[in-house]
Order: sequence, then C-alpha cells, then structure tokens
Amino acid sequence: MAEHGSPGRLSRLVDTAPLLIFALLLAYIAFEAHNFFSLLSFKLILNQSLPVVIICMGLAFVVMAGGDDVVSGGIDLSIPATAVLCAGIIAQWLATNGSLPVAVALAAGAALLVGAINALLVTRIGMTPLLTTLSMFVAVVGVNNVVTSSRRINVSDPVILWLRDGQIAGVPVGIPIVALIALSFYHLAHRTRIGLNMQAVGGSRDAAETSGLDVKKLQSASFILAATTGFIASFFVLARGSGSSPGVENNLMLEMVLATFLGAAFSGRRVVTLWGAVLGAVLVAAISIGFKSMGVNVFWTGLIKGSLILAVVAFGALAQRGRR
Amino acid sequence: MTFKSSILGLAVVALSTMTAQADEGLSLEGKRIGVAVVGTQHFWDREAFNGATSTVEKLGGEVVPVDGGRDNQVHADNHDVLLTSGVDAVISILGDGAVEPKFEALKSAGIPVFTVDHPSPHAVNNTTSDNYYMGTTIGRYMADAIGGEGKVAVFNAFENALRICGIRTGLWKYVLQDYPGIEIIQPELAEEFANAPEDARKQTLDLLSQYPEGTIDAIHVGCWDQPAIGVVQALEETGRTDIIVTALDGGPDTLEIMAEDGSPFVANVAQQPNLIGSTAAMNVARHFAGETLLPQTYVDVVPVNGAEEAKAAYSSLGYGSLE
Repeated sequence: MAEHGSPGRLSRLVDTAPLLIFALLLAYIAFEAHNFFSLLSFKLILNQSLPVVIICMGLAFVVMAGGDDVVSGGIDLSIPATAVLCAGIIAQWLATNGSLPVAVALAAGAALLVGAINALLVTRIGMTPLLTTLSMFVAVVGVNNVVTSSRRINVSDPVILWLRDGQIAGVPVGIPIVALIALSFYHLAHRTRIGLNMQAVGGSRDAAETSGLDVKKLQSASFILAATTGFIASFFVLARGSGSSPGVENNLMLEMVLATFLGAAFSGRRVVTLWGAVLGAVLVAAISIGFKSMGVNVFWTGLIKGSLILAVVAFGALAQRGRR
Repeated sequence: MTFKSSILGLAVVALSTMTAQADEGLSLEGKRIGVAVVGTQHFWDREAFNGATSTVEKLGGEVVPVDGGRDNQVHADNHDVLLTSGVDAVISILGDGAVEPKFEALKSAGIPVFTVDHPSPHAVNNTTSDNYYMGTTIGRYMADAIGGEGKVAVFNAFENALRICGIRTGLWKYVLQDYPGIEIIQPELAEEFANAPEDARKQTLDLLSQYPEGTIDAIHVGCWDQPAIGVVQALEETGRTDIIVTALDGGPDTLEIMAEDGSPFVANVAQQPNLIGSTAAMNVARHFAGETLLPQTYVDVVPVNGAEEAKAAYSSLGYGSLE
C-alpha cells in the first residue's frame, strides 16, 4: 500500500517527534529565558519536581503491574490525595504539639490503608482501577478536609525545614534523597523477583497466570507501593509549602498523569517506565519553569502546555499504531 | 443616593488624578519586574495583577508574570522562578504562609519584594485596602441588617492563615462583642480557596438542611465574596432568601447580585484591586527613585449598604451601569 511505501523514514520521524519537540522547545526557552541554562535554574527544576517525581514512580509501578491500557489497565489516581492526606495528618499532629515520629506513623498507617483499600477493590471486587482510584481520590481529599478543617497549617518542625532549606555541597538535600529513592525503586522493579514478576503481570496477565504467578497479589503490591510513594511525597509537599495548604492535590494529580504518560513517549516501546516517569516529571517542571522565566502571558500558558502534551501523546499513539 | 454616588465618583477621580501626578518623574526603565499572582480566575486577583503589570509597563519596565492558578503552593514556587531569572524586584499578590521563606530568599539575594494584601517582615512595602475599616464596617452593617440579634453562620477558612483575613474577620467579631444577642454558629464553616462559589453553595445547602426556617438569620463570608455567590444561589434554590448575606471585596460580579431586586446579599465593602496593583507598581518605582516607603500603603475602600449603594458603587468604580 502507498502509505507503507517508505515506512522506515516516516515511522522514525514519528518515533522521534516527541523528543524533537521537547529538544526544540528547551532550546527555544534557553535562548529566550533569562538564566535558564544555569546551575541555579537546573537545581530549581529538580527541586520543584521532587514530589511529582516520587508519585510518578508510584503510578509507574501500578501501570507496569496492571498493563498500560488507560481504561482497563493499571492506574492509580489517588496517589496525590494520599500525599496530601499524609501531609495534612503530619501538619495537624505537629500543630497540636504532637511529636514527629507519632505523626509519621499515623500518616504511614493512613497511606497503607488507602493502598490496601485500592488493592482490595480492584483485585478482589474486580472494579476498574480508573474508577476505583478516582473515587478514592475524592474520598481521601474529603478525609483530609476533615483532618485539617480545610485550613492551611504552617509547619516549622526542624526535620521538615531541613528538607526545605538543607544543602549538601550546595545541592538541596531533597535532590540526592529522591535520587536514592529512585535508585532503590529501580532496583525493586528490575533487580528483584517481585519487581520482575509485577512487570510480567502487566505485560501479559494471561501468560503470567499460566506460569503460576499470583497475579492478584502482585497487583495489590503495586497499589501498596503507590500509596507508599504518596506517603514519601508528603514530606516534600510539606517542605515545599512550609506546611499543608488545601487544594494542592489538584495540580499534583495533573502533573503526575501528564509526566508519567509523557514519560512513556520517551521509552523505546512507548510504555510507562520508571525512568520515563522520572524524566517526564523533570521535563514538565523544566518546561513550566521555562515558560514562566520567559514571561509568557499567564493567560496563555495553560493552552500552550495542554497543546504540547497533546502533541507528544498523539505522536506516541501514532507510533504505537504504526507498530501494530 | 445620586449625591453619594457623585461624591464617590469624585473620590475615585481624585485618587486617579493623584496617581497620575505621582506618576510624573517615576520610571522603571530598564528594570525587569516579576509579578507573582496567586490566580487569575477571580476578578480581584486578575484586576490587581492587571493594575500592577500595566503600570510597570507604563513606567517603562519589563514584566515577568507568573500565575499560581489559584494554588498557594504553585504561587509560592513561582517566586523561586523569579529569583532564578534574576528580576530587579518582585510584586507578590496574595499568598499564604508558604511564600514567607521565598520572600526571605529574594530579600537575601538583594531583590526587593513588594506585597499586595500580604504584610510580611521580608517585604519593603505592602499595598492593601484598609482592612480594619472593612472588618468593622461589615460588622456594623450585618448587625444592623438583622436588627442586632440572631444566629449567624460564617465562612472563615483563612482567619489564621492570612493576616488580612485575620484583621477582617477578627474586627467583624470585635464589633459583634457589643451585640450580645448575636450568636455565631459553631463550628464555623471553611470554604475552599479554589472553586469557592460551588463549594460554598454545597456547604450552604447542608447548613440549611440542618437549620430549619427561622433558626438562622445571616450568613457572612469573613474575608472575601466569591463564596457569597454560591451562598446566594443556595438561598434562592431553597427559597430561604429571608436569610441575609454579607461579605467583602465588592467586585462587579457580586455588586450585580446585590443590585438585584430583593437580593439577600445586603452589604459589602468594595475594594479597588486595579488601583491597589497599580499603587504597588508605583511603590516599586518610588523605591528605585530612592524614596523611603512606609511599611503599608492603604488604598481607599467603598462601603456598600443595600441595592442602591451597590448600583452607585458599580458605576463609580467604573464597572458600567446597573440602572
């Protein structure tokens, strides 16, 4: 057929289009924005992307174990709400003169509960992850509103302030900490049996079942892991905001979904991967900081960002269709 | 009313003339001024932002605008972007406690911070409405509207989070101390910062089902008036427009509601957000011209008591005509 006449060049172009769009855009921003290509701005991009990087890895685990079909596959939209709930619990506990260790234990308990309920609803009751975790998002935000009375709570605990202001050799402490977390998650996903089995389940559920893997258990583990990333991210949410502010979950949710699926466009097989998610989160932060430092009209940035994501994801879909 | 509205008109004209006069000799030529606003969805935020950016441009400066999208966290983070991009000064509009460490960082990097509606020890100057007058005036108007006694529900999410709200709601409560017949329903309600009208509508419907007819006399929004839009909707949906509504800010959207026949929304205090933003920008220029600024610059407010005054304020503040 005519359209398959020169598949090589066309499909290669479609394949590299997202990368090209981003490279061109970054080059343009670097040219236009003040101080964009500087160490200071690089540190800022990494630092601002930390909470999103962490929850993106959680989402990546769920997608890896559940398959990458957005409707029927694995997805966990409740992670940002879990992060905000944990932050709310810690802030509220500290505000009533409680100690940090107890606050942390309470938050961890809450996160595990959210993960366990998600796992139960999806693997035992058989609900679709998309609807389950979206409802969970709403419910968890509701719980957080009860915990914090929908009010802002300032936090001045030294550990949280250290996460906010601390530096190691001029690098904000959050960056190496999250890098270590990312490395251990990478190890978990690619170097341990449970991680590899999880990926096997996501790759082909039937094949995994036939080969005797406990599919439900592995998918449940991915939801627990996702909730754990929400718990970890809550410390960075608190540090970033010097406390807990209501409403933070919405932007986190948007950025998490964008970054994770944008990240898929950078993987060879167009699938959600840990590194893709991390890279996606950093790129979303870079582009949005770039636009801001360029002084782009604030009334336009939403449209520009949205179109960009659509373009990249559309090229991703095209490339995948070409392969099938 | 015509007399009052012409006085108001004169006052506004006088203020703008003063601004124009002060304008002479001031310049921001060659300066890059960061303008950080918490959101642009609401009239107040958008107008303060427009006032600041247009004045910076008028004075020859370059604007680096950043918008928090009505998310206090994003708003705070945006200050880091301004710090990195090396602006000469920052005008920061609203924001909660999350911005304080950012102001501190800007200050220690030698970038002066000028706030709007956010008093801060790290800012050179804060331009704001006379919040003390707003709080006491709305307290008196509300007390009068319910005959000095009754039960009042209050939306009060920000009294402890934002200083301006602490002043406004605190002084509203201070006035009510002299009305022992007025009882504030506990617990107080907490409105959302984003999606405030819809959230307040739902919360009001819940409240009304808890308090049957005749058991609640007023609903007050302690620090702004976007939630009041939803409150009025809920009262109209349930036919409970005997309950009066009071709030603060008085943008065109809420003045329009107040001006409707038989509106339950009876009192407000209107601010001049555009002039506030513009004054903050002038203060930046004054600072660079070597003037010493007072910690706070107050911009006049317009008390609005009843539908007729709402119409008068609407036209005197330049929003058009509601006649």
